[in-house]
Amino acid sequence: MRSGHYKESVPSLIVLSDSTAVWVWGGILVLAMAMAPYFLNAYLLSFLVLILITGTGALGLHVLTGCTGLISLGHVGFLLLGAYAYAVPVAKFGAPPLIGFLSAGVVPALVSIVVGVPSLRLKGLYLAITTLAFAFIISHVVLSMSWLTNGARGLPVMRPELLGIDFESDARFAHLCLVVAVATLFAVLNIQRSRVGRAFVAVRDNDIAARTMGINLQAYKLRAFMTSAFISGIAGALFGIYLSFVSVEGFPFLMSIEALAILIVGGLGSTAGVVLGTVLIVLLPEVARIALGMLGPQAEMLFSTAAHELRTVLYGLVIILFLRFEPRGLVGVWRDVKRLWVNWPLRH
Amino acid sequence: MSALLEIQGATKAFRGLVAVSDVSLSVERGEVCSVIGPNGAGKTTLFNLISGVLRPTSGRIVFDGKDMGRVPSHRFAAHGIGRTFQNLALFKHATVVENLLVGCHTSLRSGVFAGAVFFGRARREEIAAREQVEEIVEFLEIEELREKVVGTLSYGQQKRVELGRALACRPKLLLLDEMVSGMNQEETEDIARFILDIRDDYGISVLMIEHNMRIVMDISDRVHVLHFGQKIAEGAPAEIGRDDTVAAAYLGPATAKHPRRLADANR
Ligand SMILES: Nc1ncnc2c1ncn2[C@@H]1O[C@H](COP(=O)(O)OP(=O)(O)OP(=O)(O)O)[C@@H](O)[C@H]1O
Ligand SMILES: [Mg+2]
Repeated sequence: MRSGHYKESVPSLIVLSDSTAVWVWGGILVLAMAMAPYFLNAYLLSFLVLILITGTGALGLHVLTGCTGLISLGHVGFLLLGAYAYAVPVAKFGAPPLIGFLSAGVVPALVSIVVGVPSLRLKGLYLAITTLAFAFIISHVVLSMSWLTNGARGLPVMRPELLGIDFESDARFAHLCLVVAVATLFAVLNIQRSRVGRAFVAVRDNDIAARTMGINLQAYKLRAFMTSAFISGIAGALFGIYLSFVSVEGFPFLMSIEALAILIVGGLGSTAGVVLGTVLIVLLPEVARIALGMLGPQAEMLFSTAAHELRTVLYGLVIILFLRFEPRGLVGVWRDVKRLWVNWPLRH
Repeated sequence: MSALLEIQGATKAFRGLVAVSDVSLSVERGEVCSVIGPNGAGKTTLFNLISGVLRPTSGRIVFDGKDMGRVPSHRFAAHGIGRTFQNLALFKHATVVENLLVGCHTSLRSGVFAGAVFFGRARREEIAAREQVEEIVEFLEIEELREKVVGTLSYGQQKRVELGRALACRPKLLLLDEMVSGMNQEETEDIARFILDIRDDYGISVLMIEHNMRIVMDISDRVHVLHFGQKIAEGAPAEIGRDDTVAAAYLGPATAKHPRRLADANR
């Protein structure tokens, strides 16, 4: 336990978690997900893959909106850019997939400077609107550059072969997504416990004090944009591969809302919240579909004909409900439950 | 050697209002100086000029022999200017230790990638920073607050954390804006002791804005008095206590004949 009264060695104070339980349960969870492809049917496996990809993308937005406090509706723009930055070199020019993934991170990171610089002086609603415009400009540009992107026809992409490993099968592809998601999670957690991550939080909580501590506000906001875009781009590439087809239609604006909903439902600013929020938001439409199915075949029909609209309504609804009743998000609930458990009579 | 801080004819005007008007003052190395003056006298504005939060309309700020006019605001910390704020400016969703670690920002190097990997140099520098923070935590006697989220602490505790954060910048000059306002007698005495230790043990010069005359009279080497943006007096605490213009500024001209009351002005 960390406590003020015992003097411990300093290296032990900067570990990611000093709780053995966290490491053990985390390990079990990852192991379970690694084994899952061999037990789940294709339909259920697709949910696992979706959770992993969406979670990776949400971690990207988390760096920008959760940590640095820069609200962005442009998330889908970075996902789309990442997907095309992968698909164009790999599917059109036959580049190795590893190069594709590199470009899926680097291209959005560079483009994020273009939206980042005009956003430096903007806050709140104005920033939201600017990034919203950015998302639509990106899809417009992609459509108009059809000599490179095939325009509205899109680009088919295959499952990749990386470092001599073929990720063609569903199970292997799930493993690839798992590796990327876990690596991203660790990277984000590490950033948060180091200089740059603390600077992000400082910029979010009090920019004048942050500057007085020696933090260059513009530079760090840009760094947040670039880091976020890099991670989101990788997630976008994975999503494109998952769809086996990269097109503007495959990346609806709703994905920006979905990622914001994940952050709010999980608890804004919390990395554990991103994980919890992702699971809830990805599964929510399916749960709603099953619930509607119980109301009879007509209701289920509605779901298949208006799935996109229903998802829009659902995300909006959970955002409002959480902001109204539990602004701390699922991590807040989790902490309450834990406190209750620890303080239960006769437990200590 | 020249003075650590030299303000030469600094003026700051907000539209029509001249908040600081042609103020010159200096802080020598190893000094504890106070800035006093009635509400709205321009004390905080003066601090904002010294710490780069605001730029003077005219005049110069020379720190450690360097004209700060062309130094970007975020570089003031690296030059050795640390400060606290009158109305708490902590990172309130972060823990005490995290707040202090932000104070170490300028003495660390690692970027996004090194931080994400958290290995080798990045890890070593984090350990070194944490060691420094632990030292400050012990110095300020806030061991049991280490992992607390700052927003949950009491006002007095938050003030202490802000002091710690400013110390973590390893400043040459520490600017304290009304450090003890709202504190009880005991907390005030703790802070007075810390300020003297900061000067004596760490060799940091201190410039503080205070309304509490006890602490001003007890621990400052020199006092500067501001009134309506102008500097109206400067001297040792005892001299200032006897100064008629100062008493007039605080209490109005009618009571200037009883200057000894100055010490009770804010009771
Ligand atoms: N950013 C600003 N814009 C406009 N006016 C300002 C600004 N900052 C300060 N002022 C004005 O400048 C004057 C001096 O303010 P300042 O905060 O420096 O006073 P102070 O001496 O610190 O007072 P107090 O003892 O109440 O803290 C006040 O009239 C204030 O309203
Ligand atoms: Mg003030």
